[in-house]
Amino acid sequence: MSSSGESPATVEEFRSNLQSWLADHDLTPGPDHSLAGHIEQMGRIRREMYDAGWMRYGWPSEVGGLGGPPTLRLVVAEEVLGRNLAEPGPYSMMEVLVPNMISYARPELAAEMVPRYLRGEETWCQGFSEPGSGSDLASLSTRATPDGDNWVISGQKVWTSFAQFSQRCVLLTRTGSADTPKHQGITAFFVDLDSPGISVRPLRTMHGVDEFCEVYFDDVVVPGDRMLGNPGDGWQLANDLLPFERSTCFWQRIAYLFTRMDRLLTDAPDASDAEIGAAYLALHTVRCKSAETQRRFADGAKLGAETSIDKVLLAGAEQRLYDTARDLLPGVLELDETSWRPEFLYSRAATIYGGTAEIQRNIIARRLLDLGKE
Amino acid sequence: MDDRELGMLADTLHKTMSAAAAAETPNVEGALAELGWLEMLDEIPDQASALVFRLLGETGTHAGVLNDVVLHAAGQPGGGTVPLPFTGGRWVIWERTGDSGSGLDGELPIRTAPAGEQVPLAAGRRALGWWLVGSSRAMLSLARRHALDRVQFDRPIASFQAVRHRLAETLVAIEGAESTLRAATDDLGCLLAKAAAGQAALTAAKHCQQVMGGIGFTAEHDLHRHVKRVMVLDGLLGSARELTGEAGAAVRALGRAPRLANL
Repeated sequence: MSSSGESPATVEEFRSNLQSWLADHDLTPGPDHSLAGHIEQMGRIRREMYDAGWMRYGWPSEVGGLGGPPTLRLVVAEEVLGRNLAEPGPYSMMEVLVPNMISYARPELAAEMVPRYLRGEETWCQGFSEPGSGSDLASLSTRATPDGDNWVISGQKVWTSFAQFSQRCVLLTRTGSADTPKHQGITAFFVDLDSPGISVRPLRTMHGVDEFCEVYFDDVVVPGDRMLGNPGDGWQLANDLLPFERSTCFWQRIAYLFTRMDRLLTDAPDASDAEIGAAYLALHTVRCKSAETQRRFADGAKLGAETSIDKVLLAGAEQRLYDTARDLLPGVLELDETSWRPEFLYSRAATIYGGTAEIQRNIIARRLLDLGKE
Repeated sequence: MDDRELGMLADTLHKTMSAAAAAETPNVEGALAELGWLEMLDEIPDQASALVFRLLGETGTHAGVLNDVVLHAAGQPGGGTVPLPFTGGRWVIWERTGDSGSGLDGELPIRTAPAGEQVPLAAGRRALGWWLVGSSRAMLSLARRHALDRVQFDRPIASFQAVRHRLAETLVAIEGAESTLRAATDDLGCLLAKAAAGQAALTAAKHCQQVMGGIGFTAEHDLHRHVKRVMVLDGLLGSARELTGEAGAAVRALGRAPRLANL
């Protein structure tokens, strides 16, 4: 344990210690800009920063953490993503996977597995969406059937990020009988992806980064002690992710988008004030909103439907930023091999993943404006 | 002033201003003076202007208290008037007496004036931002009520997704603007907050007007008062469009996007 393992007195002290550590430790990504290279770099960052203590702050000691508020995780994310040391997509997976394991896995399982993830020894993925269950996630049909002490799983997942690099998967399945109400018939498992009967096929995407996979389960046997929580807890598990996605993940994404805004200012020095101002105002607005959400979350507030506002603001700001980049760099995306190209294309998905823009507006109308049923 | 005292003050102000609106005497200049507005501005300038300006918007009342906020920030005594920059390089005086003017919002005693001296505008912009989000909330409330009450095709129009999404979009804009207002502590932060609030108010006006259909276009309904008011308030001390351009110029000059809100 290095000196950084000492408990920090304040968030600011923590940040400044981290900044000095980063100044002394060169974690610059290597020349491999492929998706495999990104995953490897993510593993390297986790390993070195776990060994130095940084990746352990904000997580409980039961799973190898050093404790402290989740804000410390945000600071680490900001400093790493703000230096473009890791890609925001792989980084953000931690915030949707680890909290579920802490809350739902048997304590021994969480204690065994979570440190492997935090230390970058393993990559994990999240098997939620299915071909027939996108916005209507609760209709998922990948079936888990009890068989003695085991469960046998069959079905198909899609949009499973980084499955081809993953050792394990947090998987939602359908359990219960035909009479079980659909939200109560969902059960989660922590599945080893090298189990017989699993095949993974990366999807080609329009931005050329094959992050998303189809994952097929053909009579896959999973031990009963790999169930996360109890039968029927799966829907609650999926909903428990929301506060993490909407707080820590969003703050990471915003930190990253500010670095892209900085780069746009460099790449388009003759830009118009109006266009740069509008892109910056949208980013500033979601940053102000998200900072309030982080503070509420840190103070123990239960986050809910109101974070759909953060989501709408973030997706809008992200697409505006990249629309502005395309306008201010005419011909560049179309003719040059530049990272603006995949980034622009990926931004088209911002209003689709994590609950579409339409689903968010439905939630706002129903839950925040109390407009009654559609 | 602690939270409890501030809450009591908010209640008193809300009652007084709502009563004035109900009595169709929306100029609350005198009522605010009696409640000690200038003392509040001296003692708790940020809280007092956020509270009073937001309530002016929510209740649809008005007063020339922007003068006081700008004068206070310039270190001058309140109660009078000061020439205020308006969009398009124009200037106006917001009179402290009188109940009408010749502008778009005829209730406001505002008249055009020769150019005045440059004064610090950050506090005034933030105060106007609160007024704009207050007016936006008033418009959203009217449109929400209408959507729930108005039945067509045998169901409330609030059940139609196109209507719901316009109202949701309005709330998103308002909430985002309020966050920028709470985070506004320096010149750039106040400029951005006024821009976000102006944009939110114009978004609210557009969507709420559409949701209200024909009734919102009549002078019998209150919506038009808010619509006209936010157009005037948006122009005061720099419109959303102008300020967005100014923010762009500032960011370009820095060569880096300032991270104003932090954990």
